Amino acid sequence: MHYQTGSGSCKVPLKRSVATDPMERIERMAAAHAVVIFSDSTCCMCHTAKRLFCSLGVSPVIYEIDQDPRGEDLSKALLRLHGGAAPVPTVFIGGRLVGAIDSVMASHINGSLVPLLKEAGALWL
Amino acid sequence: MASHRVGEPAALSDSGAPHHHHHHIPYAVPYMLHHPTNSNFINQEGPAFDFGELEEAIILQGVKINNDDKKQHLYTAIRPAATLDMFPSWPMRFHQHTTRGSSKSGEESTDSGSAVNTLSNTPESPSDHRQPPPPPPQMDAAGGIDSPRMSGSQSQPPAKPAPEKTLRRLAQNREAARKSRLRKKAYVQQLESSRIRLAQLEQDLQRARSQGLFLGGGGAASGSISSGGAIFDMEYSRWLDDDHRHISELRTALQAHLSDGDLRVIVDGYIAHYDEVFSLKGAAAKSDVFHLITGMWTTPAERCFLWMGGFRPSDLIKMLIPQLDPLTEQQFMGICSLQHSSQQAEEALSQGLDQLQQSLVDTIANGSVNDSMHHMAIALGKLANLEGFVRQADNLRQQTLHQLHRLLTIRQAARCFLVIGEYYGRLRALSSLWASRPRESMIAEDNSCQTTSDLQMVQASQNQFSNF
Repeated sequence: MHYQTGSGSCKVPLKRSVATDPMERIERMAAAHAVVIFSDSTCCMCHTAKRLFCSLGVSPVIYEIDQDPRGEDLSKALLRLHGGAAPVPTVFIGGRLVGAIDSVMASHINGSLVPLLKEAGALWL
Repeated sequence: MASHRVGEPAALSDSGAPHHHHHHIPYAVPYMLHHPTNSNFINQEGPAFDFGELEEAIILQGVKINNDDKKQHLYTAIRPAATLDMFPSWPMRFHQHTTRGSSKSGEESTDSGSAVNTLSNTPESPSDHRQPPPPPPQMDAAGGIDSPRMSGSQSQPPAKPAPEKTLRRLAQNREAARKSRLRKKAYVQQLESSRIRLAQLEQDLQRARSQGLFLGGGGAASGSISSGGAIFDMEYSRWLDDDHRHISELRTALQAHLSDGDLRVIVDGYIAHYDEVFSLKGAAAKSDVFHLITGMWTTPAERCFLWMGGFRPSDLIKMLIPQLDPLTEQQFMGICSLQHSSQQAEEALSQGLDQLQQSLVDTIANGSVNDSMHHMAIALGKLANLEGFVRQADNLRQQTLHQLHRLLTIRQAARCFLVIGEYYGRLRALSSLWASRPRESMIAEDNSCQTTSDLQMVQASQNQFSNF
């Protein structure tokens, strides 16, 4: 089993599937937990994303794609998904794409992030 | 005593042509007239001089002040009122010894007795004012010294005593006015030098454009500012002018009680104006992130409170809350929540930036001699992430402003943005005032006058801002 490491979050085994389309993998991983962050262990903006969610009292599940053997495919797929400047960090809440860090920030500022988290069961009050 | 020091109005007319005296030395310091060689020490460092008595004498005589802008004033630091015809009773020969006339009266404070208002229109030059006033011209001693000389001249009736308090006040006013003029001068000079710098920047920009440097994204032009930075500075300077215009428009619109529809247009315009600066900063971050993040594009006071290349949104909201009264309960909750969210986001970004810095430090510190270039390359790669942080910080600022717009009614929003515009305008003005504040060496005496002048200066700049 291949364990993903994350900062302060639970470790999740990454199933090695055969010839799975990266997009499908992403969708499957995103749907598995309330809050999912695709990250890179060396990326500082990913650290920002993690810190933000932790400060909200949420424990996100983190996939470090630089530690995935097919991380490059994932990276390209993520970039295609939200068309942002960088593939990571990319955030999913309740299985739905929120986006890159700017979308997350915007969502928090306009007050929509917390309700979304509650809806997904990641936050209680 | 005055009679020993001061000339006579009667003597003025008696002498027939007081106007001709302009070209000669003032009588201000009679002792000096007899010792022209001592004129040197006027220009040297000397003790502070109290003009109280001198001015008292002038007022007593109600002497009309002449202007003389042709000659370098020997006693330039002497307060303006003390000019030529003060001692018209002095025989001509004394005047001939001296070569310079009173000139640097500048704009005299009209607060002093009308009789002693100077007519001089000579602009004061800073160098004159930096000359310390001449040492006390032995005025008291002059009483004794002068009288023998005076005895040969026209007789002088005794001076009428004027109230001590008034004279002192007048003297203080004069001093305050002088200091105020000094500060104004320093401020104007600063503006001038900024103007010159702006012209230089525009020149740099022209040069850089013609050489296509800025297209390379960071090729630094010669000089301390990169072309990317120079371009941004220019665009930002234009944005500031626009900002001033928008603020005036907002202010006028609020005072004119325009309809909500009209106000909306203006407020939307202001939001768009801010969107524009964030767009400019985004482009600048690509070409010269250091210029942005170190705040070289801001004024010193703004730079002092800089957070990640700009203002800290939660601080802005904190400032705004009391200014936005009255707010509904819901609005108040919304804005407090906005402040809180912004703080969380700022904290997360700051932590991310800290991690970047730590990572950079590790890379640079651990580069060995052999593969230092390799480590440098890695460090460069990490540095590139700075742009992302500045961009996200600007994004946060932009989102905060938009959210404020959403939370408030149109009239409240108009007031809110007016407050924001004026706040930063004042912060910028503070920088200028600070830069032109009087330093120790420029203050001759009487610090009690200083506060008044400072207030006058601040009030002058505040007059362009409305009350919140």
